[in-house]
Amino acid sequence: VINLMEELTLKGITQYYAFVEEKQKVHCLNTLFSKLQINQSIIFCNSVNRVELLAKKITELGYSCFYIHAKMLQSHRNRVFHDFRNGACRNLVSSDLFTRGIDIQSVNVVINFDFPKNSETYLHRVGRSGRFGHLGISVNLITYDDRFNLFRIEQELGTEIQQIPPVIDPSVYCR
Amino acid sequence: ASNQNMSVPDTETIDKVHFVVNNLSTQNMDDKAAEVKARLGEHQWPWFAIYLVVKRASIEPNFHALYLGLLDAINDKGLFRLVLDASYNNIKTLLSSNKVKTNSGERSLLKNLGSWLGQLTISRNQPVLMRDLDLKGLILEAYQTGHMIAVIPFIAKVLEPAKDSIIFKPPNPWTTNVLALLKEIYSERDLKLNLKFEMERLFKHLDCEIKEWKCSNLLYARQRERAGNPDFVADKNPPAMAP
Repeated sequence: VINLMEELTLKGITQYYAFVEEKQKVHCLNTLFSKLQINQSIIFCNSVNRVELLAKKITELGYSCFYIHAKMLQSHRNRVFHDFRNGACRNLVSSDLFTRGIDIQSVNVVINFDFPKNSETYLHRVGRSGRFGHLGISVNLITYDDRFNLFRIEQELGTEIQQIPPVIDPSVYCR
Repeated sequence: ASNQNMSVPDTETIDKVHFVVNNLSTQNMDDKAAEVKARLGEHQWPWFAIYLVVKRASIEPNFHALYLGLLDAINDKGLFRLVLDASYNNIKTLLSSNKVKTNSGERSLLKNLGSWLGQLTISRNQPVLMRDLDLKGLILEAYQTGHMIAVIPFIAKVLEPAKDSIIFKPPNPWTTNVLALLKEIYSERDLKLNLKFEMERLFKHLDCEIKEWKCSNLLYARQRERAGNPDFVADKNPPAMAP
């Protein structure tokens, strides 16, 4: 098996966490979408079911979103990804299927709606595959149960995930 | 509109507008336009115009068509004029800051606003008026001061939509004359290759043959800076002795 993690970088990504309860997550998402300046975003969930539920929920709330997950037909997935890449919608709710990192320049915000269980998954979601990582932020919604995973993933990747401040300077993720 | 007496909406309204623009797409255009109209009063249009230009158009060239679509869907002449003014103001701010000479980030903002301006004006068969922005004057000044590294890509972006404009497509005299000035600069010795490429690309895009284009005769009275001028190869070295 080829380990592609070598090619992924967290350079240029400023990483934050927000400590929330499960039931506050959607509210937290609303706050992020009211405060941040988002070109395009990808929102990750930990299961196919949660991807569909969240996409349905936030579409009702006025979000522009598509969803994509591992149980969809490959042809359907290609279509959704292609349309997202062309800007047909602004946000993509996704399960773990990007195996080489995100290579869409216009995605400046990645949200882990569910925090991943291991560092490899985290890197695949948040890391960029380009040689020059473009600027971006990741926001991780952390519940009480995720707290040890957060610590472990930070250690394993040798990176720092800061608590989200009230205001984020656009210069760290816009352009 | 001056910034001093601009009416800034309250935080809640600003948040709602951010949310709308973060989620704008071609599918929901009419709903989102209606929401912006419902949230913002006319006295807040100046704020919205500046937000759209400074925080969105200058940074997100991939969504220019979308934001222009929003303006069309809102369909308010006053707002359109405010957006145009905000664009000119911002372009002038960037042009007058010396950072465009050294900072590629600033240059890409300028280039994005060039593309935006072209779509607000030329694409809609509206002129870029001299009193708003004098393109030829700008090029000549850039030639003299070594700002072409920033200005030529900007000009090229403004002119690009002339290709499909029934008014501004060459042989429109205004377009033709700007191109003639570019050709004259193109013919200068030791012009940097990237600027030449930029000009060739524009001519090709407009289906014009740069080799056969007539030159203007405007540079004879102009002296360009010889020291530290990044636009010319030879000028990187100290000025040579006069012949």
